[in-house]
Amino acid sequence: MALPLYATPGQRIWHYLYLTVCALVLFFLVSPLIVVIPLSFNSAPFLHFTPEMLTLDPDGYSTVWYKSLFGMCDAEGASLWTSCTDKWKVGAFNSFMIAVMSTMLATTLGTLAALGLSRDHVPFRRAIMGLMISPLIVPLIITASGMFFFFAKVNLVSTLPGIVLAHTILGLPFVVITVTSTLVGFDNTLMKAAATLGGSPIYNFFKIQIPLVAPGVISGALFAFITSFDEIVIILFIGGPDQHTLPWQMWSGVREEISPTILAAATILVLLSIVLLTTLELLRRRSERLRGISPA
Amino acid sequence: MRNYVLTTLLSTVVAVGMIGTAQAEVNVVTWGGAYAVSQQKAYGDTWKGEKINWINYNGGLGEIRTQVESGAVTWDVVDVLPDQVRTGCDEGLFESLDRDMFAPAPDGTPMDKDTMNKVPNDCVAPNIFWSYLAFYEEGTFKGEQPSTIADFFDVKKFPGKRGIHTWPNALIEMALLADGVPIDKVYEVMSTDKGIDRAFAKLDQIKEHAVFWSAGSKPIELVKSGETSMSLAYNGRVGAAVLNEGEKLVPIWDGQVVEEQWWVVMKGAPNVEAAKKFLVHATAPQQQAAQAKWISYGPMRKSALDLIKANEPWHHKGVNIMPHMPTREEVLPRSIFADPAWWADYGGEISERYTAWMSQ
Amino acid sequence: MSTSPAKPGGPVLTADGTPLKTSLERSLKLSKLRALGLILPPLVFLVILFVIPIGSLLTRSIDDGLSNKVLPKTLAAFERWDKTSEPDEAMFEALYLDMTAADRLDLSKLGTRMNYEKSGWRSLLKITARGLNRIDGPPYKPAILQLNKRWGDIKFWQSLGAMKDPVTLGYYLKAVDLKYDGNKNVMRVKKHNRIYQMLWWRTFLVSTIVTIGCLVLAYPVAHLLATLPLRLSNLLMICVLMPFWTSLLVRIVSWMVMLQQNGVVNDSLVSLGMLHDENRLAMMYNFTGTVIVMTQILLPFMILPIYSVMKTIPPSYMKAAQNLGATPSLAFIKVYMPQTVPGVGAGCILVFIVAIGYYITPELVGGKDGRLIGNLIAYHMQNSLNWGLAAAMGTILLVAILTLYWVYDKLVGVDNMKMS
Repeated sequence: MALPLYATPGQRIWHYLYLTVCALVLFFLVSPLIVVIPLSFNSAPFLHFTPEMLTLDPDGYSTVWYKSLFGMCDAEGASLWTSCTDKWKVGAFNSFMIAVMSTMLATTLGTLAALGLSRDHVPFRRAIMGLMISPLIVPLIITASGMFFFFAKVNLVSTLPGIVLAHTILGLPFVVITVTSTLVGFDNTLMKAAATLGGSPIYNFFKIQIPLVAPGVISGALFAFITSFDEIVIILFIGGPDQHTLPWQMWSGVREEISPTILAAATILVLLSIVLLTTLELLRRRSERLRGISPA
Repeated sequence: MRNYVLTTLLSTVVAVGMIGTAQAEVNVVTWGGAYAVSQQKAYGDTWKGEKINWINYNGGLGEIRTQVESGAVTWDVVDVLPDQVRTGCDEGLFESLDRDMFAPAPDGTPMDKDTMNKVPNDCVAPNIFWSYLAFYEEGTFKGEQPSTIADFFDVKKFPGKRGIHTWPNALIEMALLADGVPIDKVYEVMSTDKGIDRAFAKLDQIKEHAVFWSAGSKPIELVKSGETSMSLAYNGRVGAAVLNEGEKLVPIWDGQVVEEQWWVVMKGAPNVEAAKKFLVHATAPQQQAAQAKWISYGPMRKSALDLIKANEPWHHKGVNIMPHMPTREEVLPRSIFADPAWWADYGGEISERYTAWMSQ
Repeated sequence: MSTSPAKPGGPVLTADGTPLKTSLERSLKLSKLRALGLILPPLVFLVILFVIPIGSLLTRSIDDGLSNKVLPKTLAAFERWDKTSEPDEAMFEALYLDMTAADRLDLSKLGTRMNYEKSGWRSLLKITARGLNRIDGPPYKPAILQLNKRWGDIKFWQSLGAMKDPVTLGYYLKAVDLKYDGNKNVMRVKKHNRIYQMLWWRTFLVSTIVTIGCLVLAYPVAHLLATLPLRLSNLLMICVLMPFWTSLLVRIVSWMVMLQQNGVVNDSLVSLGMLHDENRLAMMYNFTGTVIVMTQILLPFMILPIYSVMKTIPPSYMKAAQNLGATPSLAFIKVYMPQTVPGVGAGCILVFIVAIGYYITPELVGGKDGRLIGNLIAYHMQNSLNWGLAAAMGTILLVAILTLYWVYDKLVGVDNMKMS
């Protein structure tokens, strides 16, 4: 992408303009997330940079909001407005439990669907695929409204199984997509070769197909997990008080007043997303290596 | 393998679903912020009975109706708005409460006679009054200071932007009052199309100067940062800023719109007996008064207000709370008590019109 | 694999003597069944928990059975009425009979429903129901008029016309600022109360602006990513994917911190002297806020499809065009850009589809004029409890989205969708 030596001044200007625009767009994407991190260490209850922070004075920084996030604040220090609660902890626990359960269900069902769909001669393949992916396309507000009416009839509103089932639906398309795309590159002659070499179909399935599909399953599971972990609309519509999750806690906090405690929670979630992203990238590379696709 | 996974999954789902339903406790559902804290201090810390779970909600009958209709009731006591108290009781969403179980006033007056307004039905137990009012920061205006709701609508005399909320409640009443409608005629005027037109014409006068808020903490921020010179707010928020944070904010009591807030017990509540006992405790004059130590909302019972008056300084910071009470005698002649029945009938239509007005 | 020697002209047979055609058909059938066996559990799951619930939305949006259930006689009497004269004793008698027979809860719910047609029905039914036991017998008309004089107002009676059928399109009409009059003619609602057409238009406008904004921002970045050496582009890709993987609420909170009146952007501009303290920019809690935040949130949805298309365009095409005498800019416009159209189309439709259903973001940053149709659906679901209207609005939105989804499928194919 370097500029050729014979570029005209006009081309040079264009080129630098182009690079600047790209830099600005990337900055636009990432800067809000970066800004949150230092502000969450603010020692004052403000959402802007204090002079102490700008001069890098250690007194300007503190971890007090992280302590309050984990419910570790002393009773005197907590003002009436930011009462000290363990709601963040409970919320994180609920989010985690719901996400784990719905991920397990979505992964199981999604993998089955993908294995079925990538066989030859599947009737209505396109229609079924479209249906499987539709929870991604239908706006959450519509899904949530529909589920609210239906779940109310079968007593699933305000229950944990209700939320887990709803989140499973949202996670399903991700698993179907990722597993299907690993199977697209799957070389069927490998299975035939294994069969010729005398392996039983089941043995071959576990020894050959599963290891190759595994990266797709795991990355699909990660998508399903983060979808459930981050989900708020369904929780708002059909969740009850026992299903108050981390996003719910943030939502009710943000609607009232953004406190630095919320920024501390946000920082932790940003770090979590980096961890997940890295995991996914490593998985992708492993999958490509296994399937013999060299990174072009 | 698959069966094993599924069985494990299902049993986990069932097991976790059962957590939290076994023990006898009281689930008290209320609002957030300093208001919830005041309730926890006044009613919760003084309560010797079952463990209380304080649950946050954002109002609305939706979840209440779903729980009752599906038969899966998990809430016990709920803190509800006046129009919802009426609709909910009509629809059979709340338990009817035996009036004799509540503590009478010290002079023997039964509870229902001890409230400052009429008790609408047998589902309710008294809670608080709060109000919408206008306020500004000391030093914003030179010379004459704003003192009436008409001043709030007068941007020539008192320049600067105005903070108003994104829904029409109280604003219609205030606009008509500012336009010169006598207090006792406000709802009569509001019930005619002309009256509504008149209210919106008055609102038009501040339209260009309006900054809209929806979170209760916002008005204080708007006025303190100077973004608006005056704003409407919940009186408790202004009181808290003055009493707890030492802000120099001046409430304009003239033309305040007072709203009721009631307690109810959910129909089919899992801990119905404990819930009733809790309400008997929370509505006793002593507890009603205690709440005002922490926030400047007015207890519904007259005897509780008398208790506060007799024991000033009542606020937990050692200052007088009465000057911040929306229901004290001095401000009543120029206060409107919101009419929930009117809002139940016309609220939907007015909300549409207000939304249209706001975004034109 | 060997086939038995076949008679000339006869069918080819397999080892066990069945014709090859039959055998192949059988094995094909078996493999179809096996595939379906795998697909069936997830499919049933999806149908029960997703397709049926969304279908229930449809039935909600046209259901108006309550009025027929509670007031059958009154509605029959209404049919016989000429709709203009003063209601007669027969109508009041029917009303009395219906209301005394009605379940108290049904009556209360009906009051809520009838109040959508004309404000005041709710209290009128309530007051009347409470006074019914004071009426001893006919004539009912004066007795009911005594309970509340609004029963003499012909407008209340006329409004019954809009709810006399058990199936109604009334909620759909309402969703576009229309309504039925007493004779079921369609007419526009009062001028002051028209909000839905404006909201549909605003939703469309915001989605279009966001889509165009995303396209303009995404195109150069996608190009950079596609042409940089792999190690560098992988690094930059993380910048693109990180917001994608970060909690939606976190991103909204970050933008609030950046853009609000006392936010990082305004503070910086003021301290740099580029902005006067009094003229701080209003970039949050309004239309602008909604557009900025949605653009950032949806940008990765645009970058990724364009990038994946650009990645497949060999750089030699541009070189060839330039060798043939085209200037670099002409070569870019005439040769490169047309090849990126599939990616651009996919990205645009994807961003547009996601944008028109948005709810959380406009709810938190929309303020007075940045809220969209999704917010009104939520409002009617949770606050006003006008579930019929919410369902009708949801159905309209759903049809719009499914149409676009179908177009997307024709253009790109849903099975080509890839993650990361």
